[in-house]
Amino acid sequence: MTLTHSSILSLALLSAVNACATTAPPADLVTARDAYERAQHGTAAKLNPAQLDTAHKALLSAERAFEEDGDTQRTRDLAYVAGRRAQIAEARANATRATQGQEQATENMHAATAAQLGRTNQQLALQRQAMQSERDARIAAEKRAADAAADLGKIGSIKQEPRGMVITLSGGVLFASGKSDLLGNAQAKLNTVADALTQQDPDSRMTVEGHTDSQGKAAYNQALSERRAQVVRDYLVARGIAADRVSAQGFGSSRSVADNTSSEGRANNRRVEIVVTPKADQAHTSTR
Amino acid sequence: MLAFGCAGTHAAPTRQLADVQAANRTASELGAQNNPKAKLHLTLAEEQLSQAKQAMEDDDDETAERLLMRAQMDAELAIALTREADAMANEAKVLDAARVGQSASPELEATP
Repeated sequence: MTLTHSSILSLALLSAVNACATTAPPADLVTARDAYERAQHGTAAKLNPAQLDTAHKALLSAERAFEEDGDTQRTRDLAYVAGRRAQIAEARANATRATQGQEQATENMHAATAAQLGRTNQQLALQRQAMQSERDARIAAEKRAADAAADLGKIGSIKQEPRGMVITLSGGVLFASGKSDLLGNAQAKLNTVADALTQQDPDSRMTVEGHTDSQGKAAYNQALSERRAQVVRDYLVARGIAADRVSAQGFGSSRSVADNTSSEGRANNRRVEIVVTPKADQAHTSTR
Repeated sequence: MLAFGCAGTHAAPTRQLADVQAANRTASELGAQNNPKAKLHLTLAEEQLSQAKQAMEDDDDETAERLLMRAQMDAELAIALTREADAMANEAKVLDAARVGQSASPELEATP
């Protein structure tokens, strides 16, 4: 652009002072000056400089015509053209700006969509991974529980009863007759029991029940069964079962499972039972 | 830039006339009638075209030429204004779509 905005103003002032000192500029020229002024300070200067320059030259032609000839038809025609050229430059620049804005917005939208897709895929992968880990952990836990149950089966009997899973250990294996101290090899067996119990549902609760045969006084049997239950309970706690999950209770000979008249029956009645109650059933089962 | 000549020595501005007619047609096809500002300038172009034709019939080619020059400017402005409005409408549409897209794509819940 060879002539600046100030040169236009100078030319306009010159026009006013010289040839047209007594003639007001035609409306078309005033309009053209305004239109150019607006275009020059709008987007056209940056986005449409070539057409703004064309408008500038057209305005200079109109100003010169006005300066030389005053308010003639030719001056008005040139001013009319200059005004329209400035408006055209401005409109085209605005269209260019809007098109660029649209392209930028589209690009941003695509980038945002791609980023969102990436995040979604990442989250899905994490979820899949978490589900797989959970599945693996469940399978491992089930295997540990099955292994533990198999180990338990070697040292005692396991039954599923309405009150829960009942592990029955022979009294003769754990204690000497009339005693409540654990035998030496009883500890190895209780270790197996404790390991198996730690694999159970961590929300389950346990009751260690002591039982005797009917020989001797009932009060003695009751006290013996309570001591034995407590000893076993304390041992299990020492082996890692949470203390608040396991309680002890003695029943003496009140809950016989076999005939007390035979030695075999009495042996079966001398036992320790560990009742494992799932969390869901705890409200219906009394434990102490 | 269109030139001015002396009265009586002008050839009939038939080429300019054809140019204005073509520009008016383009403005109409782009939808200038649907945009108030563009419609105004298209109307001006058509009126000046009509006056130019009359001037040519009256053998006043100089007047016809200056009227056609004005008409050409108005037709081109009608086209520019129509395209400007279209571009702005398209931009607004995409910006709206982007806003809707942003609010309609909530994050998945975080995996614990």
